[in-house]
Amino acid sequence: MSRPQFQLVPGHADREPYVSFCGHCGVRPLGGDSSSRVCDNCHMGMIVSAPESLAPEEHEAFLIVDGKLQVCAVSRRAEVLLGAPESDLVQDRLTEVLLPADGDAAGVENMIATISHAVRGQETFDDLVVRPAREWGIRWFTRVGPCTAPSAALIVLDPGD
Amino acid sequence: MRTLKTSEAAAELNVSPNTLRAWERRFGYPVPMRTEGKHRIYTHGEIAALRDALKEGLSISSAISRAREKLTADTPVLVGALSSCELERADAAMEAALALRSVERSVEEVLLPTLTEIARRHGETSAPWAFATQWATDWVHRARRLAPTPVGASTVLIGDATRDELDPDALYASAFSLFVERTGARVLTLPVAGVAGIGEVLANFRPRAIVIAGSAASDDVVARWAYAVRSAAGPLPIALYHRGERRAARTNGTHVLPLSPSDAQHELALLLHERRAPAPLAPLRAPAAEVATLHRSMRAS
Repeated sequence: MSRPQFQLVPGHADREPYVSFCGHCGVRPLGGDSSSRVCDNCHMGMIVSAPESLAPEEHEAFLIVDGKLQVCAVSRRAEVLLGAPESDLVQDRLTEVLLPADGDAAGVENMIATISHAVRGQETFDDLVVRPAREWGIRWFTRVGPCTAPSAALIVLDPGD
Repeated sequence: MRTLKTSEAAAELNVSPNTLRAWERRFGYPVPMRTEGKHRIYTHGEIAALRDALKEGLSISSAISRAREKLTADTPVLVGALSSCELERADAAMEAALALRSVERSVEEVLLPTLTEIARRHGETSAPWAFATQWATDWVHRARRLAPTPVGASTVLIGDATRDELDPDALYASAFSLFVERTGARVLTLPVAGVAGIGEVLANFRPRAIVIAGSAASDDVVARWAYAVRSAAGPLPIALYHRGERRAARTNGTHVLPLSPSDAQHELALLLHERRAPAPLAPLRAPAAEVATLHRSMRAS
């Protein structure tokens, strides 16, 4: 019988620092009044935070998805890529908006599992290849990871342009 | 109902007044009312619903969507209460609606959609429909008793061309009348079927506009009534409200008001305002000739 082994897990001190950004325009707030959760730049997004290496740059395309796998926020650039305004996409199921680009049935389950892990705060960022749910011939590389608050998953799309 | 100025609403939400105006442009929410000086005022309930949604939300869109859901939650409650003939629950649902909205918006966003839903579910000859329309008419009458005392010279005569209390147009006509009264105008509603003695009534009540509401009365009956009114009160502008789509194509100068009671009230206010402003001189027409034109066009349509 083998003895249980201790395994090194990351502690709070090892946690990657989180940075704040607007959930619509992606701009990072410049200190100042941090009590307001609404972006001073575009007025259309709420300030959320994500690990620094995951957080989008200004004008990057990204979506935020909650634990029910419903779309909660869509960036301005993602609105252009997806061809619909944020107000039409919020509360849609993620799979009505994005699907894995490999077309494999297990791909959907894999995508859902990856995003569910991210919602739960798992800080290992995964890469997925996705396409718009109603279109073929387009695929985007994405990076997926946790986002707060409240707990959600951040999906940053890379259209490759 | 508690209202907030733009600065107060912005402070409650911890955003700038510019942000509030940007949301209004993009999302149509929150919907401000206007003071007499055209300044925006917001209902506290609407702002509070948005404030709570913003605390939990990840985007403005989702927060606004949640706040809207909270506000529309009164309609299903009222539909349920009226379908099961529960007076107290129906009253409570409207009280809840009034805590979040103005009287006008409570009527337009809760009361009228509820009646539409009951008609769709049970039909307009059903007992639930009869119960719901009687309750709704009574509610509007109660609201009219709380309307401000008429001020100024605006007086409006409404010709009731609806069938009876169970006519779907009757509730719209009552709501329209309520909205007009709430602007401080004096409103008199008379059935278009009654012409006898109308001169004596109008000698004391001098209307500045006539609105014919409802589509049940025939064009002949309406034209006879309009003729009698104009013979007694002079050439007044005539507007039609819920008088049927086929009549909307008329081009004889009669105004066709929008179906929404608040839009109709706004348009009537504009009509009264235009009448107050000096207009370029136009060739005089006898009231009888004008009513005859109206009559002819009604027959043609």
